[in-house]
Amino acid sequence: MSKQPVSRRQFLNYTLTGVGGFMAAGMLMPMVRFALDPVLVQGAEGEYHTTKQKVDELTTTPTRVDFSYEQKDAWYTSDVTNTAWVYKDEKGEVVALSPVCKHLGCTVNWEGNDHKNQFFCPCHNGLYEKSGKNIPGTPPTRPLDKYPTNVKDGFLQLGKPEPQTIA
Amino acid sequence: MNWNGKDIESFQQQKEYIDTLLMPLAPVSFENDMKEVASQYEFIQLLTMLLEKQFKGRMLLVPPFSYIRKQTEEEKLTALNRWADEVDKAGFKHKFFFTSDSSWKLAEEKINGSLIWVPSVPLEHMEDSYKYSLIEEQAKQFVNIIVHKWQQNLS
Repeated sequence: MSKQPVSRRQFLNYTLTGVGGFMAAGMLMPMVRFALDPVLVQGAEGEYHTTKQKVDELTTTPTRVDFSYEQKDAWYTSDVTNTAWVYKDEKGEVVALSPVCKHLGCTVNWEGNDHKNQFFCPCHNGLYEKSGKNIPGTPPTRPLDKYPTNVKDGFLQLGKPEPQTIA
Repeated sequence: MNWNGKDIESFQQQKEYIDTLLMPLAPVSFENDMKEVASQYEFIQLLTMLLEKQFKGRMLLVPPFSYIRKQTEEEKLTALNRWADEVDKAGFKHKFFFTSDSSWKLAEEKINGSLIWVPSVPLEHMEDSYKYSLIEEQAKQFVNIIVHKWQQNLS
């Protein structure tokens, strides 16, 4: 404790600065938060949907995983069911491909119509390699979209399909 | 392809690839069998929607052909074939008519197109997840029929 006595003027100055500071902070904080809000918000892309597929049970053979979630469009709420072809690659990483053909949007099947080790589209005989790469000479012009994947409590989570850029 | 602005736009651009038309045949009645026909329609609607999803790039799902159930066979048949002719003119090679109304089954050979008659399952008291797996099982069989029909025409 200093021996210098605090003068009335000093005391008032300190208190006013302190209280004023709190008030200013109280006013500024919400403003700053509002300004930052659009940056902090999680985009729809960051949304993951949990599937019923256990990650441990995945093999190198693509398996069909169906998952559904509720989607709200203005006044219209609906259950959307989506499908993914999921497998583990040589490195043991989980790969989830969208089954929507890049030609006109049919659903592709793994080894459909006896096409070994390929994805087959029954509509116009489109073919894709296991990686999702389109096979030249068939109608599709782009590789299959890929789902971002995540693991939660041992279950697979899938995000929003993104276009692949493999050559 | 669905019957909406966006899908029809891509249909018009990719016409040569979309050669199959899918049309539900839906009876309507306001008498004692009202619930029965409504339930049939629910089933057929889910089934055709799923098939459209599977074969989006080659198939156009059009609004259902609806008719009064009491109408005579003659009337219904003439009206449907009038539709079918129009569809032929539009350049479709395959026409699939899905229905749960067994009266069509008796007139099958007079219909210009492939009739697929599915006995409907009452879905109203079913749990959603069970409902979808049931429809999916059904749809799988029709997937094979449709693919088979397409391949027949190739050879």
